[in-house]
Amino acid sequence: MVASVRQERLWVRGAQAGSAPAVEALYRAHWPRAYRAAYLVVHDAAGAEDIAQEAFLAALRALDRFDRRRPFGPWLHRIVVNRAIDWSRARSLRAEVEIAESAGSDPTPPAELPTLVRALGGLPPEQRAVIVLRHLLEYTPGEIAKLLDLPRGTVNSRLRRGLDQLASLLGEER
Amino acid sequence: MNDRRLRQALEEVRGPDEDRAQQRTWLVVRSAYAARDALPRRPLPVRAAIAVTALAALVAAAFSSPGMAVLDSVRKAIGIARAQPALFSLPAPGRLLVASPAGGAWVVDVDGAKRRLGDYGEASWSPFGRFVAAARGNEVAALEPDGTVRWKLARPRVRFPRWAGSPTDTRIAYLTGSRLHVVAGDGTRDVDAGGLPAAAPVAPAWRAARSARELLLAYADTRGRVYAYAPERGSVLFRTKPGPIPTKLEWSRDGRFLLVLAPRVLRVYDLAGRIATRDDPTDGSRDVDATFLPDTGRVAVVRVHGSQTDVFLLGSGRLLFRTTGELRQVVASPNGRWLLLSWPTADQWVFVRIAGRRRITAVSNIAEQLGGAFPAVAGWCCATGR
Repeated sequence: MVASVRQERLWVRGAQAGSAPAVEALYRAHWPRAYRAAYLVVHDAAGAEDIAQEAFLAALRALDRFDRRRPFGPWLHRIVVNRAIDWSRARSLRAEVEIAESAGSDPTPPAELPTLVRALGGLPPEQRAVIVLRHLLEYTPGEIAKLLDLPRGTVNSRLRRGLDQLASLLGEER
Repeated sequence: MNDRRLRQALEEVRGPDEDRAQQRTWLVVRSAYAARDALPRRPLPVRAAIAVTALAALVAAAFSSPGMAVLDSVRKAIGIARAQPALFSLPAPGRLLVASPAGGAWVVDVDGAKRRLGDYGEASWSPFGRFVAAARGNEVAALEPDGTVRWKLARPRVRFPRWAGSPTDTRIAYLTGSRLHVVAGDGTRDVDAGGLPAAAPVAPAWRAARSARELLLAYADTRGRVYAYAPERGSVLFRTKPGPIPTKLEWSRDGRFLLVLAPRVLRVYDLAGRIATRDDPTDGSRDVDATFLPDTGRVAVVRVHGSQTDVFLLGSGRLLFRTTGELRQVVASPNGRWLLLSWPTADQWVFVRIAGRRRITAVSNIAEQLGGAFPAVAGWCCATGR
């Protein structure tokens, strides 16, 4: 479900004014992509659900400060993808330094996942994130650089390396 | 696989049980929004409203499967599991200075060696880490890092000694009651910073300078105005408008910016006294600490919202650390690659590596190792200063 810019502004204005239907419309329009983006980065369904949930709650907390002239999607996606990267790093870090704050779920992708998703799981989370932002959420490298607070060259190199590695992984599996 | 096929393949991906996940999350989001919406209509005290919001979110969260994990972590959040039982070493070069009224002042070396300087409740490093300015009761003193007293000065109700200057000419600022004083690094020429309004109980902050003449001191008065004051010239560079009394003042290492922090005010001023950045917490959040990261000029913020604490970078919002529980302090290592987060209720220090690959390590039993009381970290100083 893709809403027009005008429609989305109306929803944001309604949400700021206390309209529950406006919040639901925003939620229904943006949750699926937010969740899938998180899922493709963290490769963990419960983790993705938590991240998408936290992102919406954070967005609600900051709703009063939100500039209605700006699109809601990039704002939300920035929160989602950064949290997904942090989540992935934290999971690997806990193993590295033997700090386990919670049990967490099994990080190994199940075998029945599509080949592409399994291959994507073989990349570092930073590369997964830029591929998801570029090819699922359709941001330009310049927009990704702004979203992730990275130099554009870093985004381009992560995209290039990620896609090369992805092609290699898919080739091995064929 | 070309771009079009890749995009198509990514769009076809569905998480397991996605529809139910969406519905579970909607229940949580709807409840949180309903609680938020109730705020303006009900004249509840702010704390009660926050409690209602948190309770509604928790009740709704209880019905989602990830929510069960969240509730579990809320119940169990008493620090990082499997933390080291003692501080065996610091993760970055430099020495820590810590102090508490009950436990005294201590220096912690990079190899974990700890040395008690004396019964001082507050302390700070000299600019190059060669000395320590310390305060207790009615006394301010200059010490060597082994605890040897170089000089001391009796003044009533001394607080917040802060040291700055060049290798050959330094100044120490401190408060005596509500008066701001400046004394030379050798203990001579102690003067009241003449004519300035009464100081609020917040540590003054020196802007680094090549000579004592160029030093600039930030302090807050009892109306919450922050002054950038040049003691050698007796002039005020700028003064902010009245506001909440800050809990922390800090200059960036390059001296271009001044951080002013209060629980619900977070502002960065430039040298002309203009607000360069602001991110005042809203919706029940409050900031407990913030600090400039060395060299980069970015600000790490510790923000508490309900039972959760986030440590993030001002501006980008990049999350550096999150936990249930309340952190108190953030201190950057001298090389800027690590943050020390102090967590009094868990009696832990958490070290988070923020440069390169992220790493976390934690140390328990801090109070027991440093005089029996959980101390404030007064500084992490000077990797090359020894």
